[in-house]
Amino acid sequence: MDFDFDNDQQALVDAVYRILDRHREIPQTARLRFHHHDAELQQLLRSGGFLDAGRQIDALAGALVAYEVAKAVPVVEAAVSNLVIPHLFPDEMIEAPVALIWGGREKPYRNLPFCRTALVDLGADAGLLALDGAIAEVDTIYGYPFGCVADPAYWKSMRVLPGKGPLLRHWGRTSLAIEWAGAARAAVDFIIEYVKQREIFGRPEGTFQAVQHRLAQCHQIAEGARWLAFRAAWSGSEEDADLAACYAQQQTSRVMFDLHQFNGAMGVTTENSLHFWTYRLRALQSELGGSTSAALALCDRYWGAAPSSKPESEALPLPAQAGA
Amino acid sequence: MLPADWYTRYVPESYASDLQVGFSREFCAGLARKGLLVPHWPREFGGQEGDDWEHFILGEEMKAAGEPRGPQYMNINWIGPALMRYGSNAQRALHLPAIAAGETIWCQGFSEPSAGTDLASLRTKAVRAGDHYILNGSKIWTSYARTADWCFLLARTGARRKDISVLLVPMDSPGIEVKSFPGLVKDGHLNEVFFTDVKVPVENRLGDEDAGWEVITYALSFERVGVPRYHAGRKALDLAVDQLKAEGRFADPIVRARAGQIAAKFEAARMLTYLVVDQRVKRQPATADGNVSRVAALEAVVEMMDFLAEYVPDCLAGGSPLLEDYYRINTPAGVVAGTYELQLDLIAQRGLGLPRS
Repeated sequence: MDFDFDNDQQALVDAVYRILDRHREIPQTARLRFHHHDAELQQLLRSGGFLDAGRQIDALAGALVAYEVAKAVPVVEAAVSNLVIPHLFPDEMIEAPVALIWGGREKPYRNLPFCRTALVDLGADAGLLALDGAIAEVDTIYGYPFGCVADPAYWKSMRVLPGKGPLLRHWGRTSLAIEWAGAARAAVDFIIEYVKQREIFGRPEGTFQAVQHRLAQCHQIAEGARWLAFRAAWSGSEEDADLAACYAQQQTSRVMFDLHQFNGAMGVTTENSLHFWTYRLRALQSELGGSTSAALALCDRYWGAAPSSKPESEALPLPAQAGA
Repeated sequence: MLPADWYTRYVPESYASDLQVGFSREFCAGLARKGLLVPHWPREFGGQEGDDWEHFILGEEMKAAGEPRGPQYMNINWIGPALMRYGSNAQRALHLPAIAAGETIWCQGFSEPSAGTDLASLRTKAVRAGDHYILNGSKIWTSYARTADWCFLLARTGARRKDISVLLVPMDSPGIEVKSFPGLVKDGHLNEVFFTDVKVPVENRLGDEDAGWEVITYALSFERVGVPRYHAGRKALDLAVDQLKAEGRFADPIVRARAGQIAAKFEAARMLTYLVVDQRVKRQPATADGNVSRVAALEAVVEMMDFLAEYVPDCLAGGSPLLEDYYRINTPAGVVAGTYELQLDLIAQRGLGLPRS
């Protein structure tokens, strides 16, 4: 197992980083909101082929791109495009960016307002929905734009992919784990720099052991999430995907609480950057059933299904048929 | 290579018990004959030039099986590497072949009644008297002291705080007395060792005089990721689930989810440890990643102990000797080889660059 990037991987990460670096700043007006989708950056990544690295190179390359993108303040979609689409549509180009719909149809989902396509978890099956309007954006403090499919007639156009539900959840969990890890890394790094500068009681906040210890724990969690997520992309194993999502999602509260504690009252203002990452972690916490669902999938795999439990697909609240 | 009653007779006694330590001499010698004791060591010291991956994979399986190498895992993990790096030719010639053959038991003389985490405050003193030192003081929590052949000991040799030297002390030296006492962790671990005017030849000093801190820092960088707690923990989780299933108590989704979440934490610790192994294979300098991996493993271990206490409570009351062994061996997991808090200090200061208070 080699944890260092090879030359090609390093070149890919450097190239993504150069693009992201030019879009580090967000408009001042966006500072008054809870999230900011950068359409220009999204287009740059798309035209540069960075949303298709998972298909053109391999899943790990896609994960490296998605991880770097998840660290940026502006929201752009790179995880589902790179990690889910190539596995559900190996021979077909799908219009990016892509959102995930995984619960009830009437619910709001992240990134829907700016995505061109949505993948739908139907339990045993998966669905593909072209988004050409009719998305009602909803207000949210989450770090992603959220929206609902406003017109029920929309579902009639959904293309059903028989038997692809497990594959969608497998790579959906890999992609959300990558996004979680990137956002957590950025949030922890932001607070590390903050506590070095911020003085309390006449000395930097980061000199206090109470702060150091909990920040070290947050760092450990971010790194554990990162390597599990990269392993899931590298191995392509469903088990590794469940492990990565289960680990990351269960740690959300702990990381969020500590980072906001160390940021103090500034951390609850929209002007401050911390919420852009932490409220992405919150949004990702529940995706595809959250840590509990991933843990139950692991449990079934390791120790067999519980006698009375239903398969994961049946437990989901979505109707099984398009347009039902 | 394990006796038929290994899991019923030996493992419940713990790997520090006289029974297991005695067996380790036979078992490790057998491993050595098969080239499985120190495969990652250089050929000149009895190894086969393998890489650290082989060592870790072997270590995982040994730990999961109840560590039949007994205390000799220490020889392989860090005592041997410290001897290779800092030992004189005579010390290497004396000790490394014996370790590589699985014939020798070491104990670790670091902690004292008033010096644990703050190791540099130790008081055991070695005073130079011609061609030997006169050693006086005491060590505590000295696992395997009753059965050890040698002690890898830290003693104060100068006036400054870190004027500490490493001495390799034969445990049959006149003036050494070992007293054992009971505790939460099983027998064999909790010993106090008293040194009264013990003569230690100067040639038994490892490294330069007053330069022991460097030796011990190097050695502990191996020890921190030396025990694959993630692997043993995962095996214990399997064992706990087996018991819950046998009792018809593993259908509850809350228990099931918790088991899955703990498995994920052990896997995170595994990946963070593998990161360090990869660095070692590439001969990269030690970083705070070793401390990070240890913290991750400890967090998972604590959750696992909690799981046992909540869902398999009878394991601490005769219900499962193997799970009891797992639980009890881990009661000091956050204290040994540098406390959990010390690991966090090191991550914060060396890894994250936070200023010292």
